[in-house]
Formats: sequence, structure tokens, C-alpha cells
Amino acid sequence: MANKWEVFVMDLGELAEGKELELTIRTLNDGLHKYTYQRAKVEVSSKLDQFPDSLQVRLGRGQLSDRKFSIRVIERVERMPARYL
Amino acid sequence: MGKISAPKSNREFIEACVKSGDAVRIKQEVDWDNEAGAIVRRVCELGEAAPFMENIKDYPGFSYFGAPLSTYRRMAIALGMDPASTLPQIGAEYLKRTNSEPIAPVVIDKRDAPCKENILLGDDVDLCKLPVPLVHDGDGGRYVGTWHGVITKHPVRGDVNWGMYRQMMWDGRTMSGAVFPFSDLGKTLTDYYLPRGEGCPFATAIGLSPLAAMAACAPSPIPEPELCGMLSGEAVRLVKCETNDLEVPADAEIIIEGVILPDYKVEEGPFGEYTGYRTSPRDFRVTFRVDAITYRNNATMTISNMGVPQDEGQLLRSFSLGLELEKLLKSQGIPVTGVYMHPRSTHHMMIVGVKPTYAGIAMQIAQLAFGSKLGPWFHMVMVVDDQTDIFNWDEVYHAFCTRCNPERGIHVFKNTTGTALYPHATPHDRKYSIGSQVLFDCLWPVDWDKTNDVPTLVSFKNVYPKNIQERVLNSWADYGFRGAKK
Ligand SMILES: Cc1cc2nc3c(=O)[nH]c(=O)nc-3n(C[C@H](O)[C@H](O)[C@H](O)COP(=O)(O)O)c2cc1C
Repeated sequence: MANKWEVFVMDLGELAEGKELELTIRTLNDGLHKYTYQRAKVEVSSKLDQFPDSLQVRLGRGQLSDRKFSIRVIERVERMPARYL
Repeated sequence: MGKISAPKSNREFIEACVKSGDAVRIKQEVDWDNEAGAIVRRVCELGEAAPFMENIKDYPGFSYFGAPLSTYRRMAIALGMDPASTLPQIGAEYLKRTNSEPIAPVVIDKRDAPCKENILLGDDVDLCKLPVPLVHDGDGGRYVGTWHGVITKHPVRGDVNWGMYRQMMWDGRTMSGAVFPFSDLGKTLTDYYLPRGEGCPFATAIGLSPLAAMAACAPSPIPEPELCGMLSGEAVRLVKCETNDLEVPADAEIIIEGVILPDYKVEEGPFGEYTGYRTSPRDFRVTFRVDAITYRNNATMTISNMGVPQDEGQLLRSFSLGLELEKLLKSQGIPVTGVYMHPRSTHHMMIVGVKPTYAGIAMQIAQLAFGSKLGPWFHMVMVVDDQTDIFNWDEVYHAFCTRCNPERGIHVFKNTTGTALYPHATPHDRKYSIGSQVLFDCLWPVDWDKTNDVPTLVSFKNVYPKNIQERVLNSWADYGFRGAKK
């Protein structure tokens, strides 16, 4: 099943297409872990059928953007120093 | 002092509120994802009974108690007073109790501590096992701590701090929060832990007794465990944490233990705030790594939903900021008749009543208020005379609009301490907690001749002889009046 993700940005320009990005995204999949975050390497596209997962965007004060994207999560990135894991 | 009989736990408080009609039990299923938050928000905006939501989607066995102290009635119940007590009566009781002898807490055995009924350690630790609500749609995350206490200790001085600092769930083992640099915890971090690169042990206690919660958000210099004892008239029961040396209220519903990381931050916010806006942007903020979760059977999570007036953040903080300022001003011998913050000012305006016995008294009040530990939390001080009823906004507003001279009565204080949450501040000032404040001096100048320069207040109370007032009052119904329609 396709996953639903959400990202917070101050500016839509942060979601550049056609290259790998590192973003903090949260899952919108239903269940106990909904709204939890992870850092990930991703690719986004404004073509909604480009990638299987969908990405919803919120702006700095939580406003829902009407721009929608599809997203490919390439891999999870662990930013937290290993000593705290 | 007579025996106080205040609720000793969140459970006793809910029971008392249900009994007096100040809480409602909601049996139907409520979704943690927005629905519970929306209920609490509407309760705050209407001044309704507190919702005790007993059936939470996805979280059997857990419940929510929302808007615990968003009315003065519930505040009176929390203090063990008659729910119909007036605000001045509640304020006088708070002053009496917080001026009494400190009552030290007692540490009890783990076996007697309800908060240890369930213990999650190691790989079992996952905040998602708790019904952490999405309080407002569009918030940066689910907020674990909205009505709670973050417990820490200064490693050298040894003083214990319980502070209410919001905490967002980042993932199952990580929370982030807004701890302001001028708060007690903010100072402990910058003074000790951050320069040394050491983790600061913490414990978050959720579902506290209402007086423990009141202590956690009161700007009092008294350490919160003692303050809680003074407010409730008996020692608070503490128990040692599982993974660090901190002690937590044994009757709390949920305890989250862990370490504040000195050198690593994750994003926090945005979040609906007490000012009635989402102001502070998402940013990298103080980060809490979780090592253990303990909770009572059938634990109740408390939810405060901050937004437009009036929620408990506004009500309680206005109440305690005002009374703590009153104590400070009186300790300096200033002849104040009272201090009041209207909760609808989202605790931004301090109204001080004073006998204007010497020149510059309003300025002295403002300097003390803004220069104190309380100062960053409000940016307006309005000083009125002892003839103005500080609790009556009509009178205060009239005094402000007629006596505050635009040239001599308004004094702006620049480059003071502010908060990241001030809607009127620039983004730059919010980022660095730079503030500015203003005094509205609504006193007649002392160098005006009382007979010839000071205008006479033209009111029923002030201009008519007593005997005429009495005759008119006694004959009011006979004249045919039936009570004014407001
Ligand atoms: C519901 C609520 C949420 C609060 N959230 C925060 C917060 O996120 N950060 C903060 O520094 N103070 C917050 N406060 C204010 C503190 O609780 C308050 O200043 C308290 O006295 C602790 O401050 P201290 O550390 O200076 O003693 C909040 C208060 C309330 C009532």
C-alpha cells in the first residue's frame, strides 16, 4: 500500500524536483505511529503518479499547502549521534 | 491555618468536578487525532465543563481529561474551596497558603506508588503506546506535554524544578520542547549541562494533582514540591525514578523518564499557543531522549488546548503572575491595593491598583514588574488608583482612556526580555527573546492640586450625598425599574 507523508517547509522552493533531497518527514499512515518523524533521503515530484507515495505540505505556521507531490523515500538517515541510540 | 481538603490526585479532582457539574464524562469513542483537541478547544471558548473522555480510539484503557483548570470554579475546586468562590477570595487563599510555612515532600516506597503500576523499559519504550493527542490540526506534532511538569534538578545547587514546558513527540523515543532561556530549566541547561556537554536527567509527569500542576506553572521562587505542599496543606508523595535519581509525584498518571541531550536537537512546533496564535515557528529545540515510561492502570492523560481565550494557560498564569507580582510589590513596601491580570489579555497586561502617595510610583511598579523574573511574560503594565476597581474592566478602561496622558503617561521600555511567542514582536526579536514593554500610568500626577486640578469623577457613587444615594437605591423598584438589560 502506498504511504502518505507530510513535510513542513518555510518555502515551497525547499522541495526542489529532479534531485535527491534530505528532509524531515512524518508519516500520515493511520495507526499508533501517525505523525512520528524520520529524517530521510527522498526525491519529490509534482507529477502525482511519478512515485508511489504521496507527500502533503504544510507551511511554517501549520497552514496546509494546496501543492501536492509524490515522493520516493530512498533511505532513512539517522542524524542522532550513535551514543544516544 | 484550617485543614485544607483539596483533591490529592487528578482522579480525586475529576471526581469532585463531575460531582459539582464542572466535568462531564464522555463515554462514546473519541479520536486522539484532532477530535479530542477540538472538544477541549470548544470547551475553553464556551467556558464549559471539563471533558473526561473515557474511550479513546486505538488506546483501550486510557482516558483524557481536558481543560482541567480553565474556569475559576475548577480552580476553586482544585484548592478545596467552594466552587462558587469569587476570584478575590481564591486569590486571597492562594496568597495565604503561599505565604505559609513550606511543607517538604515525602518519598515513598515504589510498591505504594500508583505511577509504577506499569513500567516500560528498554525496547518496550515507545511514546506511541500512550494516547498522545494531535491537539490542533496543523500542529508540528502530537504533544505529550500540554498540562504536566518537567522535573529536573540543578546538579550543584540541588534545587528541584517542576516546570510546565510543552513537549512534542518527534518519534517513539524522542521529544522536543520549547524551554525558554530565562526559565529555570533554561538557566540550568545554559549554566551547567550545555557547557559541559552532559545530558540532563529529566522526568515528565502527566496527570498531576491540580495543585501540583498549578505549582509547576507558577512563577514562584519557592521550589515546586514545597509549593505544592503549601497549596494543598500536606506533603506531596514522591517516588524515585527507574532510570535516574529524580523523584516524581507518586500519584501522577504517567511518568516519562530520560535525558535532555546537550548537543543534539530535533525540530519542534509549530503549536497553538496561549496568545491565541501559532506564532513561534518550527525550529530546532531542546531534545529529550526517553529511557522509561511508567503509568497507572487506566491512566488519564491531561490535555490543555491553548488558543484564543480562555484556557488554563491564560487563566492560571494570569492568576499566579498577578499574585506573585502583588507579593513582590508589597515586599518592597509599595501601597498596592491589588494586582490583576485579565485572562483575556492572554496574560499580557498587568493591572495594578495603588494608593498614589508619592511621585513616580507607577514607574517604580513598572520597573520592578518588568525587571523581575515575571517580566518576560507580559509587556503591558497599567497602573490605576485605589479608587478604581481593578477587577472591573469598565472602570479600568475608563481610567485608561481618560487619565493616561499620551505624552507623560506612556513609557516604553526597550531591549528588555521577551518570549518567542509574542505575536506583535518581529521574527528577529522572537528568535532572540528580545522584548519591549510599556507602562500606562493612569494616576493623577501628585503635583496636581487635588481640589482645582484633578477632575471630579462623575458617577452615582462619587457625586451624590450618601442620603440621596440610599433614598434612590431603596426606591429603585418603586420608581418602576426592573433591572437593566445588559
Ligand atoms: C499550558 C502551559 C504551557 C507552557 N509552556 C511553556 C513552554 O513551552 N516553555 C516555557 O518556557 N514555559 C512554558 N510555560 C510557562 C511555564 O510553565 C512557567 O513559566 C513556569 O513558571 C515555569 O517557569 P520557571 O522554569 O521559570 O519556573 C507554560 C505554561 C502553561 C500553563
